[in-house]
Formats: sequence, C-alpha cells, structure tokens
Amino acid sequence: MYTLHYAPDNASLIIRLVLDGAGIPYRTRLVDRARRQQDSAAYRALNPTGLIPTLETPAGPLAETGAILLWLADTHHLGPGPADPDRPAFLQWLFFLSNTAHADLRQIFYPHQYAPADSHRAHLEIMSTRMLRHFGLLDAAADRLPKLFAPGKPLGVYTVVLTRWAALYPETGPRWLDLSDFPTLEALARAQEARVETPVVARAEGLGSHPFTNPEQPDPPEGSVL
Amino acid sequence: MTLTLHHAPDFASTIVRLALEELELPHVIALADIDGGALASPEYRRVNPVGLIPALETDHGPIFETAAILLWLVDQTGRLGPGPQEHDRGAFLSWLFFTSNALHQAALAMFYPHRAAGEANSAAAQAAAQEQIVARLGLIETMVATQSPRWLSPDHPGVLGYYIGVLVRWLILLPPAPYGIDLADFPHLRAVLAAHETRPAARRVAASDGLGPTPFTKPGS
Repeated sequence: MYTLHYAPDNASLIIRLVLDGAGIPYRTRLVDRARRQQDSAAYRALNPTGLIPTLETPAGPLAETGAILLWLADTHHLGPGPADPDRPAFLQWLFFLSNTAHADLRQIFYPHQYAPADSHRAHLEIMSTRMLRHFGLLDAAADRLPKLFAPGKPLGVYTVVLTRWAALYPETGPRWLDLSDFPTLEALARAQEARVETPVVARAEGLGSHPFTNPEQPDPPEGSVL
Repeated sequence: MTLTLHHAPDFASTIVRLALEELELPHVIALADIDGGALASPEYRRVNPVGLIPALETDHGPIFETAAILLWLVDQTGRLGPGPQEHDRGAFLSWLFFTSNALHQAALAMFYPHRAAGEANSAAAQAAAQEQIVARLGLIETMVATQSPRWLSPDHPGVLGYYIGVLVRWLILLPPAPYGIDLADFPHLRAVLAAHETRPAARRVAASDGLGPTPFTKPGS
C-alpha cells in the first residue's frame, strides 16, 4: 500500500484528491511542519529536497507533485498512456502546471525566498500578473481538452488546487484572483467540489465547506500548513 | 513519424535537438527568428500558446515544454530513460520534474533577474538564485554519487544528462561575477556531463549550434 507523507493544505492535497478520486488505497503520514519534520534526517532520506509530498510506493519513494501524478496516471490508467494521441497535450500541461504555474505561485507564498522585504509589493504585482496569464492559458486548455482537465483527474485536480491557493495568498495582501474571470476553471471548481471525496479530504485537512468555490484559510485538525 | 523542432541555437530547444540526434530520429529544424518576434506570431501561438521554444510538431499534434518533449521521446522510443513499466521510472520522473521546476527555474531567475520584482531588485534576485542553484546542483551531485542511477550516468546517454548539461553550460557562461558555478564542485555530475558531450550526437549538435568542443564541462573554449 502507498504511504502519502502530507501536511494539511500543502501540495500533498493534490495527490490525496487524485488517490481518493480513483479509489486507490493509501495511508497518510503527517509531516509536522511546526516541528520542521520535513528537515529531519528520516524525511530527507525519503525526499532529499525536503518538500512535501512524498509518496512511498513498492518501487521506492517518489518526490515532486508532477512526477507522482504522472507515475500514478501511468500505473493506474488515470490519463492518456504513452501511445495515446492525447499524450503530448497531457505531458505539456502537466509540466506547465509544475514548472510555471506552481513555481510562480510558490513565489507568492514565500516571497522572502525570492525578493527583499521592501520589494514584496512589486513582487506580488509582477507575480500575480504572471499567474493570471497562466490561468488564462489553463482556462483555454481546459475548455479545449475537457477530458484531460476533468475533476478528479491529475490535470483537473492540480489546476483547481492552484486556484484555491491563488484565492487565499498572500494572506494579508490584496485579493488578486476572481475565478469568475475564468469560466472553465470556475466550472471545474464547482465540479471538483461536488465529488464525494472532496468533503472527506476537506474535513481531514480543515479546508472548510467550499474549498474551491469559496476558499477560506485552513483550520486543520492536525498538523500545520506552514 | 514526421517531427519538426522549433529551434534557435543554444536555447532550450538545443536540449531537445540533442535527444533527437542521440535517438537518430529524422526531423526538420524550423529556425525561430526570436529577435524578429516570431514566437509572438499567431501561427506560432497555435503551436505553443505560451510562446516559448522549444515546441515539437508530431503526428499527434504539437508538444511544448522541454521536459515534456524529452519524456514523450523516451516513451515513444523506449530509450534514453526508463519506461513506465520499469522499476526506476519513479526516481527518474522525480528528478526530471525537479530539474525542470527547480534547477531550470532557478537558472532562469539568474538570467532574467528583473522578472521577480523589477529591475530595482535584480541584484537581490540574483543572489537568491545563486544560492538555490548551488543547493539544487548539490542535491543532484549527492544523488548521482550515492545512487549511480543508470538514467544519469557516464555509461549510458540519457535525456536528463543532456538537459542538465545544457543548464550547466549556461550557468558557467552567463551569470555575471561573482555568480556562476564551478563544475569541479560537482565531480560525479561532471563525469556524467563529460561522457555526454563526447557522444557523436552531441558533437553533431555542438557543430551545428556553434557550442564549441566541450559544451557542458568547459563551455566557451
């Protein structure tokens, strides 16, 4: 059985929703960020980057959200296989989500890793403008490729979780995302929220009753978001 | 299979060109006139809506994103990296994504430091990028030293070797002093890249793209 090393409302949420959406059994193991468990020798032995998530599998531990999604997709047929004509689109949007959308959004969570404190305002303005452009591209792609971006599936879940965080962060800064500007993503948020696994995961991680259509700051029953 | 690579010499498309040459897959090179605004044209945006190179046109439509193209080529040919059924596929994918979203992104932050917070904060962005680059190359070095994976090895060519090779090339050549890297700090990785740059496929691409005789380990010579 798989073991998902997770922290509430971290990128492990993406993996959790896909696993539950496909009915794949797994155990969770909390990484207590309040005690910086992600930096412990035991965690770094599984995932030398110290990032969350890690998925332990019979083939060894996997790191990187995008890599885990692709490995699960190929192992459990959750996306187009290597010979499928949709494979190029599947791979390109998965990498775009990982190295562009997720990477830029990460800069909004952790601005101090990228820019000095007195420039965080300018940083947010630039990064949020970039993010809105990325959401525009994803909205068009999801409209054109509804099967690939279906709720519960890797690209759909990855996209919708990024819209949740975009609505919530920076915690104290101005709101910069209005999901109604992206009608296909808004419909995806409604559809993901209507799936049976969503309230179960939302309860386990304290995400509130409308984690995607009306996100609120998480209040997890165990563990720490940061 | 007809393949057309949208390319400019010594851009990320060079990574894909190296893989195509190593696989000896016939392909057409479509040179992109970047300074002339070719990537912003409506025709190109139909191939790649993000407006970057590389993009590879295939019988199944266009595909963009360097790492996505590399992985698609691995899966089409069964070469240059483990396939979906192989035991080390997961580790290979983990490090391919890491290279794409962590090492490549930090390199871009170094080369385009105004992107994060404007020109006024370029120096701070470069200092932050330098730290991330060295840390991330260090993780790759330790992984190669301790695990000797066959998918990033001096003994077998692989897409990840070519990908990291081109990134390292740029990280040696482009950052202004005092930034940049010394490949001697990463000896196991250096051995992998030295083996890749002497492959006949790498020599062909180095000649056509004007990369010099040792494009990864001693670029600019």
